[in-house]
Amino acid sequence: MVNYGGDEVSALVVDIGSSSLRAGYAGDDTPKAIIPTSYGYKPAPPDVDISMEEGSEAANKSPLATMHLGQSGPSIWRAGMEVGNPLIEGLIQDFNPIRPLIDHAITEVMRCNPSEHPILLTEPTWNTPANRERMAEIMFEEFQVPAFYIANTGVLNAFAAGKGSALVIDVGQAMASVTPVVDGFVLRKGLAYSPLPKLVHAHARHTLISPTPTRRGIDLYPHQLIANKLPVDLGQPPKFTLREDRLAGTTDSWKAWAEGREVDEWIQSVAGVLDQGWNDQLAAMRPPKQYEFPTGYNANFGAERFNVGEQFFWHSPQLVASNANLPKTIPALITESLRACDPELRQVLMGNVVLTGGGSLFSGFADRLSTELMRTFPHTKIHAPGNPVERRYGGWLGGSILASLGTFHQLWISKEEWQEHGAAIVGQRCK
Amino acid sequence: MAASAADVRSILAIPDPAPKAGPSKPKKAQTAAAIRKQEGITREVQGLIGGSAAGLAVQYAKPRLKQKPNLGGSGKTHWELRAFKNKGRSDDLELKHWVKSTTDPTAGYPFAKYNIQSTSYTYSQDEYTRFLDDREWTKEETDYLFSIVREYDTRWYIIHDSYDYPGGMPRTLEDLKDRYYSVCRKLVRNRPWAGDEISKNQLIQSFQFDKDRELTRKKYLLSLENRTQEQIVEEEALYIEIKRLEQNERKFKKERDDLLRTLAGVDSGLPDIIEDDGTPLGITGDAKRKKKGGTAMDIDSPATPSVASIATPVVKRPQTARNAAYDAQHCIIRTDPPLTSSATKAAHQPAYLRSFKLPVPKAAIAPKITQALAELGISHSRLVMPTKDNCVQLEALLDATTALVETKRLVDKVQADIDVIKEQIALREGRGMEGTTEPSVALDAMEMDDTNEVEAEPEGEDGRAQSVVSTRSVRSRKQTRRSMSISSVDTTATVSTRAGTKRKR
Repeated sequence: MVNYGGDEVSALVVDIGSSSLRAGYAGDDTPKAIIPTSYGYKPAPPDVDISMEEGSEAANKSPLATMHLGQSGPSIWRAGMEVGNPLIEGLIQDFNPIRPLIDHAITEVMRCNPSEHPILLTEPTWNTPANRERMAEIMFEEFQVPAFYIANTGVLNAFAAGKGSALVIDVGQAMASVTPVVDGFVLRKGLAYSPLPKLVHAHARHTLISPTPTRRGIDLYPHQLIANKLPVDLGQPPKFTLREDRLAGTTDSWKAWAEGREVDEWIQSVAGVLDQGWNDQLAAMRPPKQYEFPTGYNANFGAERFNVGEQFFWHSPQLVASNANLPKTIPALITESLRACDPELRQVLMGNVVLTGGGSLFSGFADRLSTELMRTFPHTKIHAPGNPVERRYGGWLGGSILASLGTFHQLWISKEEWQEHGAAIVGQRCK
Repeated sequence: MAASAADVRSILAIPDPAPKAGPSKPKKAQTAAAIRKQEGITREVQGLIGGSAAGLAVQYAKPRLKQKPNLGGSGKTHWELRAFKNKGRSDDLELKHWVKSTTDPTAGYPFAKYNIQSTSYTYSQDEYTRFLDDREWTKEETDYLFSIVREYDTRWYIIHDSYDYPGGMPRTLEDLKDRYYSVCRKLVRNRPWAGDEISKNQLIQSFQFDKDRELTRKKYLLSLENRTQEQIVEEEALYIEIKRLEQNERKFKKERDDLLRTLAGVDSGLPDIIEDDGTPLGITGDAKRKKKGGTAMDIDSPATPSVASIATPVVKRPQTARNAAYDAQHCIIRTDPPLTSSATKAAHQPAYLRSFKLPVPKAAIAPKITQALAELGISHSRLVMPTKDNCVQLEALLDATTALVETKRLVDKVQADIDVIKEQIALREGRGMEGTTEPSVALDAMEMDDTNEVEAEPEGEDGRAQSVVSTRSVRSRKQTRRSMSISSVDTTATVSTRAGTKRKR
């Protein structure tokens, strides 16, 4: 038992990301519960909170009275249902839905009682102290956990790759970050992050909906709103009828969420990036890919599908000129991160690059990153797990490893310590 | 209803194994024992065959099957969910884990032993004011530094990353290390030490930190990183070149050593340092000169002191007055190494005995010289006292003899030529008038040669060839001159005669 250092105390690991919330037992290799972080809710009728004097808590809580969570949450159309997401730029901005989300994952999906298990939670490197203290409060006061710890996703990703020191390149749904990790600690001065995936998403959406010489703008209606459709030839206008009964009850936030999913679907199946940098001829030479939208419209996508991935690595000067606070590209983030590190560390870090996050599964991403890095650092070694589960849930996996180690159990913040020291212990214990 | 053994026996008409007569006790017991146990035969069959089939029973040995694997040792292990406390924790948190029920519940948590705290140094206010005062550091900041070093277990990169002393000036990693280690050194030095002096020095040594050196090292690292692609390529090419040269040098030296050992039985006497260090350093010097344009690669700087020492690889003692006096007193005569050859190892001359290098006459004319000397009653091969002067004299004698012999030979040859030509002319004049002009030109040439040779004779002690060549070359084309210059006197003579005969035809 002591030989491999594991000692399982049936801890739970909860990893909250922009797109999904992962929960599972420490020591497992895959999270047991993976639910979308987006949630559907129906706002309470406005006449309820006429009496605002009764307390703002009531007004805040009331919209969440009917929440639709999990796999059959936002993805099912409901009249008047709004869709919300508690995370903005990787940080929890709205704590109201957090408790129902975690509760859903642990008690509904995993069917276990959080008050019986120590819980390890993850946080991005740029998390604020107030946020982590609030999370500790939720865990201790609302879930009554016996022990709690909050760990950094950068460190956990390095651990998931089996490394103590690494340069973690994490591309998620909302944020792309580069985090230098040394001896299991984050070098905070070397952290670089930007909402780059959002820009790529917006670029893809713009590519689809704006008309081109060869095609009209594409309708991104989700299948929930389509009554029937007829097969059409490649590039022909779609023949479909919308569900008129649902159109009236569809909220803007649900529509935006559903269209976003359509764009993501398209990105995941069609978009890519050239591995040697942008080249018009090479892009034209690659075979086009066909894609059919829920409306029945289908088309071949040629060079434009590579232009989407290019946004991760390079921005045209016109774009930079037109937008002052454009998110930094991946190479820019890496350069920024390395510049802040000690020169002696750079070689070590470049020899241990860990690529992780669901966004990094973008077709051709790893190859392109490798070319970009080899140009400046010939001895770069990129660790990019081929297993999509490891890549998407690297943070959770690292947490699972960490919380099942025998030597880790002295780091838990126990309930007793929480009651004795209060919120300050979180900052003291979790570096 | 079960049929008894007796019933079956009666049905099959088998005689009763135990005659019913005489049911005495010991006999019955014996039969029972015989019948009782036969390994591998069921009770019914046993009953059927009775005790008489003992031989048969042997063949019914129980078949031996493959042994079943013995999983999990002896019996089952019980695991139980047990609450435990971790000694590494300051509180009473109880976590539960599964352990074998055989483990000792009173034993402590096995992972608690990994909770090791590194020794940290603390100091009192008095110690601080006496030893540790520093202009750049306040006591509060030093306290903060020590607390953060303790917190992060001297992981300096992380310490530097999270170092944030309110109101303090920005500190580099080297500043922090320097301060921490210097404080530790001073504390160790000034405190009473229980152990011996060596261990104390070792401890102080372990806290050694040279800030300037670290900074220079970091600077080098940076410049190493900032190299351009061309610089890297050039550096690699130069490196390969050096390696190649070194290898050549080593091979060459080895070959020469072997050769000298086999031929002369002496070592080359050449100090190794020249081959092994001289060339690479010369090259690095070159590389540095080339690099001057770009970033100066000062990484090579450790090599500079030895470059100076290499500049005079061959020990050349200047001829001072003191040395001259010393030489005269001890009869030491110094010969200058040949000036024409540069100081490469190819031209190197090891020490030798003077008698080894006595001049030897040319092989072609050696017997004639020996003969001439013998006429004078001198033996050139055996010098009784090969002193310096004697050697010089012998050399002069040999030279003179050689010149004499050569001259005589040439005179003989030219005389013979003249005779031949005279005969030919006489013959031709006698025969008729064909081809008069050409032979006369040839004759002219020959006569000219003759006169020149005669003129050159007195001055030529070291070779007729040169004088002949020079005179001939004036007239002949360059090509002939080239061929002549490498040929010996004999061949020039034959060439000239052959030319003469050719022209004649």
